[in-house]
Amino acid sequence: MPPLLQAAGLTKHYGSTIALEDATFDVHEGVTGLLGPNGAGKSTAIKLFLGLIRPTSGSAEVLGTKPYETVEGRARLGYMPEHECLPSSVTASEFLMHMAQVSGLPPAHARTRTADILRHVGLDEERYRAIGEYSTGMRQRVKLAQALVHDPVLVLLDEPTAGLDPGGREEMLDLISRTGHSFGISIMLSTHLMGDIERTADRVIVLEGGRVAQEGPVSDFTKDTTTLLVEVDDHHDEIITALSASGVTAIRRGQSLVIEDAGDAELDAVRDALASSGARLRRMAPHRGTLTDIFRDAPHGV
Amino acid sequence: MASEPPVTTGPQGEVFDLGYQRYDGPREGRSRARKAIYWDGVKLILGIGRGPKSKILPLLLFISAMLPAVVFVIILSFVGDAAEDFIPGPADYNGLISTLLIMFGAIMAPELFTPDRKDRVLDLYLVRPITSTDYAMARVAAFMSIVLALVYSGQIVLQAGLILTASEPWGYIKDNWADIPRFLAAGFLVALFITAIPMAVATFTNRRAYASVFVIGLFTVALATVAPLVHETCTGQARTVSGQVTFEELHCESVVGDAAKYVNLLNFGGAPLFMNDLVFDVRGDSARELHDAIPISAYALYTAVPLALIWWQYRRIRI
Repeated sequence: MPPLLQAAGLTKHYGSTIALEDATFDVHEGVTGLLGPNGAGKSTAIKLFLGLIRPTSGSAEVLGTKPYETVEGRARLGYMPEHECLPSSVTASEFLMHMAQVSGLPPAHARTRTADILRHVGLDEERYRAIGEYSTGMRQRVKLAQALVHDPVLVLLDEPTAGLDPGGREEMLDLISRTGHSFGISIMLSTHLMGDIERTADRVIVLEGGRVAQEGPVSDFTKDTTTLLVEVDDHHDEIITALSASGVTAIRRGQSLVIEDAGDAELDAVRDALASSGARLRRMAPHRGTLTDIFRDAPHGV
Repeated sequence: MASEPPVTTGPQGEVFDLGYQRYDGPREGRSRARKAIYWDGVKLILGIGRGPKSKILPLLLFISAMLPAVVFVIILSFVGDAAEDFIPGPADYNGLISTLLIMFGAIMAPELFTPDRKDRVLDLYLVRPITSTDYAMARVAAFMSIVLALVYSGQIVLQAGLILTASEPWGYIKDNWADIPRFLAAGFLVALFITAIPMAVATFTNRRAYASVFVIGLFTVALATVAPLVHETCTGQARTVSGQVTFEELHCESVVGDAAKYVNLLNFGGAPLFMNDLVFDVRGDSARELHDAIPISAYALYTAVPLALIWWQYRRIRI
């Protein structure tokens, strides 16, 4: 299966500012997270894939075509911007029907698609109200709906949970996950929120300073590690001393002790140290990785 | 005694959730996108699909554009052919409603550009299968269509009145058939001009009111600046008819040569009326004594430059 998006040596400079430098990555079917702090090059990458700007060098391909050479490919792309971009005086139904037609759908089909998509984003009851009367969460759903109304192959979402309260954020992430995994519409989700990626994405591409820092399945970054976490109520120092005597290094982090590269010998040493110190054990488990670790372990720091 | 639950014997409905359905219907690409933006523009101007307040202004403007024609037709129907000598004909009609057309352009043209930029809806257009030029030209076409309808509506009423009130309608048509292609051509040139300048101004601001005030100011300043200059150079004999400086009774050439005629070209509000007179072959203003190429060039400049500005503004727009 050819990739939906393909960046090959993708570089974009704005004068002396490097927005993206020699980025090479593919986006396949499913939900892909584009993760990075502000200024990492996420928005630049999206603009390049939408064909709104030309690369300084390298290439960006969308569904096999270069988007900055022809606009036709955008008929199968959807885009949900981060910022406010909705008219206030028209109804959601009227707006989506218009946007479906601007994406190339004939009026009768646009009408049907509008009704369908409003139902999927949970706005069918509110479709005849002016968008200006909507809450932030509802407006965010209209933004997602306009990106989906023409049934794209791929949708680019830019910070889709920005400005939402915890409840609204959960609903939006659930909607994104359903879109990507049940509707069969692939998604590239650009965000600086690692939790959003962990909740929804299958793969992650980490951008840092305009370069691809890491990429791979999200599960690779969140699986169990060889680091052992031992959480005890007391006697931390005695345990560290006992472990040290056995040749095992433990570092205290809050109420926990962290032991890197814990194998059978280290586990035996921990058992003995706990027994000899009389400490009350709360929890002992391998550390499960999070996407936060990517940035904590990054050589440049983020 | 508890009542029996009702027994349903007829067919019963059942709701199925089919889930998300993929779309495999036609996709008509850029041509559909252009049409959609065009018709959206037409609806925006006419207030279709919006509240009653949005419809009042376009309705008033249409009534105002047709009102003189209706009045003339009523006079013709009472007075008959004798009225033809003193009521304005098709050649005069565009001049008669020119101020109204400028007001219409100033007030309504920003409606098509400024809200999309202010609300940043433009960002959603430009990620779809259209170019920024497609968007801008579809909006320009939408506005020009409405201006054309405005310009033609009065002319059609007037033509119909002239034909129907003539003592010999068929004879009138045979004698004046050329007025029909002429008013169509002249109306097109007037509408293009009325579209170009206000829409170009609207690309420079996100506030409708600023654009409207600027357009009205632009035409007023041009007229107010040129009129005194012409008066001075033409020894105070110029006069203003229907908001336009005319030279009907002037003998400028003997006083200042071509200067006054060229200065008058700076009053760009008169440019479409030069073209109107040219089309109807009734050149009675300063352009009469200039070579045709000069007022035509002035008109071309006053329409081509704003249209080019619109194109340029949208070419360089970035989201």
